[in-house]
Amino acid sequence: MSAKAYKVVTNNPLVKERLDESVELYFFEEDTHRDLLERVRDFVHKGYRILTHPLAGSVKPWETPYRSVMITAEKEDKIDISSLEMIEQAIFALEKSKARPVVLNEKVLVDFQLIDLSLIQSALPSAEAQGRH
Amino acid sequence: MKLELGYIDIKGIRFDDYNAIEDGVLVVNPDELVKPVLEDELIKSAHFEIAAPGESVRITPVKDVIEPRVKVEGPGAIFPGMIAKVDTVGSGRTHVMRGMAVVTAGPIVGFQEGIIDMTGPGADYSPFSQLHNLVLVMEMQDNGATAHEYEKAARMAGLATAARVGELARELVPDEVEVFETPTIAQSYSDELKDLPRVAYVMMLQSQGLLHDTYCYGVDVKRTLTTMISATEVMDGAIVSGNCVSACDKNTTYHHLNNPVIQDLFKQHGKTLNYVGTIITNENVYLADKLRSSDWTAKLADFLSLDAAIVSQEGFGNPDTDLILNCKKLEAKGVKTVIITDEYAGQDGKSQSLADADVAADAVVTGGNANELILLPPMDRVIGCLDYVDKIAGGHDGSLRPDGSIEAELQVITGSTNEMGFNRLSAR
Repeated sequence: MSAKAYKVVTNNPLVKERLDESVELYFFEEDTHRDLLERVRDFVHKGYRILTHPLAGSVKPWETPYRSVMITAEKEDKIDISSLEMIEQAIFALEKSKARPVVLNEKVLVDFQLIDLSLIQSALPSAEAQGRH
Repeated sequence: MKLELGYIDIKGIRFDDYNAIEDGVLVVNPDELVKPVLEDELIKSAHFEIAAPGESVRITPVKDVIEPRVKVEGPGAIFPGMIAKVDTVGSGRTHVMRGMAVVTAGPIVGFQEGIIDMTGPGADYSPFSQLHNLVLVMEMQDNGATAHEYEKAARMAGLATAARVGELARELVPDEVEVFETPTIAQSYSDELKDLPRVAYVMMLQSQGLLHDTYCYGVDVKRTLTTMISATEVMDGAIVSGNCVSACDKNTTYHHLNNPVIQDLFKQHGKTLNYVGTIITNENVYLADKLRSSDWTAKLADFLSLDAAIVSQEGFGNPDTDLILNCKKLEAKGVKTVIITDEYAGQDGKSQSLADADVAADAVVTGGNANELILLPPMDRVIGCLDYVDKIAGGHDGSLRPDGSIEAELQVITGSTNEMGFNRLSAR
C-alpha cells in the first residue's frame, strides 16, 4: 500500500474488515461514538485536519454507535480552527441528545455499520482524486 | 424551455384483469403489472395493494413515492437515464396522473424507512395520505447481494412501474393543462422582466451513499459539480430519489416531480420576481467537495446576476454545513438568500435546531421539528410490515405497542418535515 495523504479514524468493525487493505486506519474497537469523536478532536489538537464531516448524513448520531472520520495523514504545525469548530459542533450534536434510547438489535447494528461504511466509501474517490488535501 | 403538463385526475384505483383509466379510476391487472418486477432476480416476492385516503391503512416501510407521468410530445421520456435513454426532457407535453402515486415499500436495511398513515393524526403529517396509492410491496432475495444492489432493484422497480402505469394516460384528454416556460438569459432581460428582482432556486440534493443518494439523468449526484437545470426537466423526472433516510425530510421522486418551490416561483414569475433559473448542488461527505460545490453555487449566482436565491436542503446532520456554506457564500456575493430546512431541536424543542449556523442565515423557513413526539393509533390494515417500526429513525425499542399503536418522533413519517416545504401543516 502506497502512502496516502489521508487516514480514517474509525470504531466500525465493518470499515476495518472492508477497507483495511486499501486505506490506513486508526481502529478503536472499544470506542463509543462519543469516544471516537473525542479521539478525532485529540488528533485535531495535535495538528491534523479533518477531511470528512464528522456528522453523519441523516443517521442520528445518538442512535448509531459507529463513526468513521477521515483526517490528514500528516500533522501540521498549527491547529486548524475550522476542523476544531466542526468536531466541537459534532460532539455538541451528540451531547444534546444523550437521554435518547439506543438501539441494540444485532441486525440493526450491522446495518448501522453498513451505512457508516457507505458514507466513508463515498468520500474515497474524492480523496483519491485530489492533489492537495 | 416550454412544457405543458396535462393533468388526468385520478379518483380511485381498483384491480381487475385489464389495465385502463375509466372515468378517472385507474384499473390495473396486478398480476400483469407485477411480472416485470419479478423478472429481477434480486426480488424474491412482490405484490400490489391499494390504499385510499381516509382508509384505516398504514403503509411501512416506505422507500419511494412516485407520480405516474408519460411524455406525449417532445424529446425524451420520463425518468431519462433511469427508465428512458438519456435525452433532454422538459419540453413538449407530459401527462400527469394527478391524485395518485406508486409507493414502493419493503425493507432494505433494518431501520430508517417511513410510514404513511391514510387516516388519523399521522395522515395530517404526510401529504401522501391524500393520494390514491398503488403500493408495490417487495421482498428481496437473501442471496448474498449487497444492500446497494437491493436498493437499486427496489428503486428501478418503482420507477419502471410508475412509467408503465403512466403509459395508460398517453391518449387521454387532460382535465386541466398548465404551461411552464423557463426563460433564456436573453429573455430574462426582456422589457417585461428586466425591472423585477432576479431570483434563482438552489436545490440541494443529498449524495452520501446507501439510502442517501440522488440521481440526475442517471448520474449519481455525488459525482457532479454544481450545475443548472431547467425547472421543466425536473417535472419530467430528470431527478429521482435513491433516498429514504430519514423519512421525514427526504425528497421522494414525487417531491421532485411536484417541487413546490419551483411551482411557486413560476406563479410569481413576471409578477413579483424574475425566476431566472434553477441550480442543483450536491451534499457530499468529503469537506473539499462541500467547499467546491458551495463555491460553484455562488459562482453561478454571480454569473446569473442574481438579486436573491431560495435554497432548499435535503436531510440533516452534515448537510447543515452545505446549507450554511451555500447561504454564506451567496450572501457574500450580495444575493439575498432564504433557506428552507427542518429542525432537530429535541423532543422539547429547546435544543439548537441545526448542526451549523451563521449570521448570514437570517431568513429561514422551517419544515418543523422532526424530534416532536407523535402517537399513531393502530390501523385496521398494514401494508408492508411493522417489524421495522422499532428500528426506524424516529422510533426506538418499545415504539411499537402491543395494540399496534406507535409512539415515535415525526421523523418516522414520510414527508412530514420536508425541506422543499411540501407539507400539509403550517403555522401561518
